[in-house]
Amino acid sequence: MAQQSGRYSYYEETRALEVTDRPRKFLEAFAAVLEHSSYGIALDAYARVGAKCSRCAASCQLYQATGDPRDIPCRRSELLLRVYRRYFTYGGMLRARLFADFALDDAAIDRMAEEFYRCTACRRCKLTCPFGVDHGLVTHLARYLLAEVGVVPKALVVSVREQLAGVGNTSGIPAAALRDTCEFLHDELQETYGADVPFPIDVEGAEHVFFPAVSDYLLEPDTLMGNAAVMHVTGGSWTIGTGNFDGINYGLFYSDRMMERICKRVGAEVRRLKGRKVLVGECGHATRSAWLLPNFLGADAPPAVAFLQYTYRALAAGKIPLKREKIAERLTYHDPCNLARAGRITEEPREILQAISAEYVEMTPNRSENYCCGGGGGTVSIDEIRAFRTRKMGKAKADQIRATGAKLVVAPCANCKKQLKEVCEDNGLEDVRVVGLHDLLLKCIDFGAAGGKGKE
Amino acid sequence: MDAWLDWARGPAFVFSFVFLLLGLLRHVALTAWEVAHVWRRAGDRKLPLGKLLRATLLWLVPFTRLRHRFWFGLTSLVFHVCILVVPVFLAGHVALWARGLGLSWPAIPNAVADALTLLAVVTAVLLLGQRVFSRATRSLSRVQDFALPPLVAVPFATGFLMMHPGWNPFDFQATFFVHVMSANLLFVLTPLTKLSHMILMPSTQLVAELAWHWPVDSGSAVGRALGKEGEPV
Ligand code: SF4
Ligand code: SF4
Repeated sequence: MAQQSGRYSYYEETRALEVTDRPRKFLEAFAAVLEHSSYGIALDAYARVGAKCSRCAASCQLYQATGDPRDIPCRRSELLLRVYRRYFTYGGMLRARLFADFALDDAAIDRMAEEFYRCTACRRCKLTCPFGVDHGLVTHLARYLLAEVGVVPKALVVSVREQLAGVGNTSGIPAAALRDTCEFLHDELQETYGADVPFPIDVEGAEHVFFPAVSDYLLEPDTLMGNAAVMHVTGGSWTIGTGNFDGINYGLFYSDRMMERICKRVGAEVRRLKGRKVLVGECGHATRSAWLLPNFLGADAPPAVAFLQYTYRALAAGKIPLKREKIAERLTYHDPCNLARAGRITEEPREILQAISAEYVEMTPNRSENYCCGGGGGTVSIDEIRAFRTRKMGKAKADQIRATGAKLVVAPCANCKKQLKEVCEDNGLEDVRVVGLHDLLLKCIDFGAAGGKGKE
Repeated sequence: MDAWLDWARGPAFVFSFVFLLLGLLRHVALTAWEVAHVWRRAGDRKLPLGKLLRATLLWLVPFTRLRHRFWFGLTSLVFHVCILVVPVFLAGHVALWARGLGLSWPAIPNAVADALTLLAVVTAVLLLGQRVFSRATRSLSRVQDFALPPLVAVPFATGFLMMHPGWNPFDFQATFFVHVMSANLLFVLTPLTKLSHMILMPSTQLVAELAWHWPVDSGSAVGRALGKEGEPV
C-alpha cells in the first residue's frame, strides 16, 4: 500500500520516491508540453515583461496571511520561469554558456513541489497585475510538469485513479449504489415535500446529462434534491448516466493528460445517451473543466450548462414557483473562484438568493475579486495540510464571513463547501452553517403550485 | 567635445533609434506569430473578446486601477505620463523632428514641460525608494529593476539643466552629451529589458487567455511524446 514519504507537506505515493533523474525528465516533459500545448505564448511574454512591482503580493491572500517572501506570486512563478528562460530561450542558453548560470537540479524541483502546492491557483493576483500575469496558469503548468516526474499529492492521484481505472468515479460509487441513492432521494422528497420528483436514469435523448461533483451523492443530498426539484418544476429534460455520473476533474489540478482523459469520458457518456448538453452540478472546478471541454473535444464538444445558470434562467422566466415565506436567517454568498474570477457567473446566484432570502448580505470583496475559500486548486482534498489551509489560506475568508455576521454561507461548490466548513470550525465560527444554493431553494419551492404532481 | 556631441546626436542616435524600432518590431512580430500559431491549433476558438478588450484598456489607462497600493500606483502613473509626454511634445524635440524628418506636431508650453520633467525625476526617485524600502518588492527585484528608474531619470534631469543654463553647474556641452547618450542607451536597452513592456503591454491580456486554448488532444500528444500512453494512472 502506498504511504507517506515525508518529502513535502503533503503525502505522496511511495512510487514517487523511486523516480530517478528527475531534472532530465522534467525538461523532457517541459519540451513536450511546450510543443503540444499553448503555454509557451504566456511564458514567453512573462519571461520578457514583468515589472517585479509586487502588486500581486498585495492581492494574494496567502502572502497577506504569511508575509513570507516565498509566497509572493511573482517570486514563486519565477521558479518555473527561470527554467523556461534557461532551457528554452536563446538568451538563456547563451548566458548559460558564458556564465555559471542556474541549472535545474533536484533541490530546485523540491522547491517547486512545495511552493506550487501552496498556491491555490485562484488567479486573484491576475487582476492586480498590470500585465495580467496569470500565476494560476504558471501554477497549473508547474504542477503538470511536476506530475510527469512523479510529484503529485496522493489525495489527488488516488481520486483520479478511482475515476479512470477503478469504479469510474472519484468516490468509488458503483452504478447500483447510485440507483439506490437516487431512489432514496426520491422517497425523501416525497416524504418531506409530498412531491413526486423523478431522478431519470439512463434516459436516451435527454437535453441535459447531469454531472455533479459525485461526492454530492454522499455528502450533499440536499443539493441534489434541490437540483432534481428544479428540473421537475421547470419540466427540464435531463438524465443521470450510469456510465459516468461524476463531474469532478482533478486533472485540472495536476495534469492536462488526466484532464483530457476525464473530459473524454464525459463526452463519451453524453454521446452514449444521445444527450446534447453537459449539465454541471454545483461545483466550481467541475464547471470550469466542462467549459474547457472544447479544448479536448474540439468545436463539436457538448456545450456546458452550469446549474446556477439553468436555475436562474428558469426563475427569471417565472418557471419556478416560490412559497411566500423566505429564508429568515441572514445569509451571505461565497463566490467560487472557478465560477467568478473571470466574471462568468456572479449575478445569477445573487438574483436567486435575493428572491428566496429575507436578509441577504454581501461579503467584501466579492464577485470576481472574491477571496478563495482557501482550498482551491485541489488542496482541499489534502487532509494533511488542513492547518495550513484553514488558518493561513482560509484566514481571509474567515474574517470576511465573520464581518458579515451571517450564520448561513452559501457556496455552490463541493470543494468550497468542504473547505469552508473546516475554515469555520478552525477559526471559531462553529455556529456558521455552509450550504449549497439549491439546498435553500428547495425549501422555498412551492410544489403545490408546480403543476399538480405534488400531493399538497 | 563638439565632435563627440555630433557623434552622439548623429550616428549614435540613428543607430540607437533604429535599434529601438527594429527591436520593438521583433517583439511585435514574434507575438503576432505566436498568437496566430496558437489560434490555428486551438480546439476552442471562442474568446471573451469584450472582456479582454476591457481589461487591456483598463490597464493601458490605469486611472481606475489604483486601489491596491494606492501611492505606488499613483507614483507609477504620474511617472509614465511624464516620461511619455515630455520627450514627444517638448518644443525643442518637435523642432528636431521637423528638421530631420519634416514631420511636425503641436508642442506643450515650456513651463508645462519643466513641471513634468521635474515630476518625472521626482517620481523616478520615489519608485526606486519604494522598491528599496518595501520588503516584498525588494525581494523580487533584479539588477535592472533597481537600475532602470534612475537611468530613465538621467535624460530628464540633464534636459532640465539644459533648459535652465543659469542653474546648471556643469558645462553645457557635457550636459548635452550626457543627455543624448543616456537617451540613446535607453533606446538600446528597451527591447532587451523589461522596458519592452512599452510595446508588449497591449497584448498581455490576450496572451494570458490564449495560453489556456490548447490544441485538441494536447494531453495525449504529450503522453505519446513521452512514451507514457499505456502507463497506469
Ligand atoms: S503584479 Fe505582475 S509585474 Fe508586478 S510583481 Fe506581480 S506578476 Fe510581476
Ligand atoms: S493564484 Fe491565488 S493563491 Fe496563487 S499566487 Fe495568485 S492570489 Fe495567491
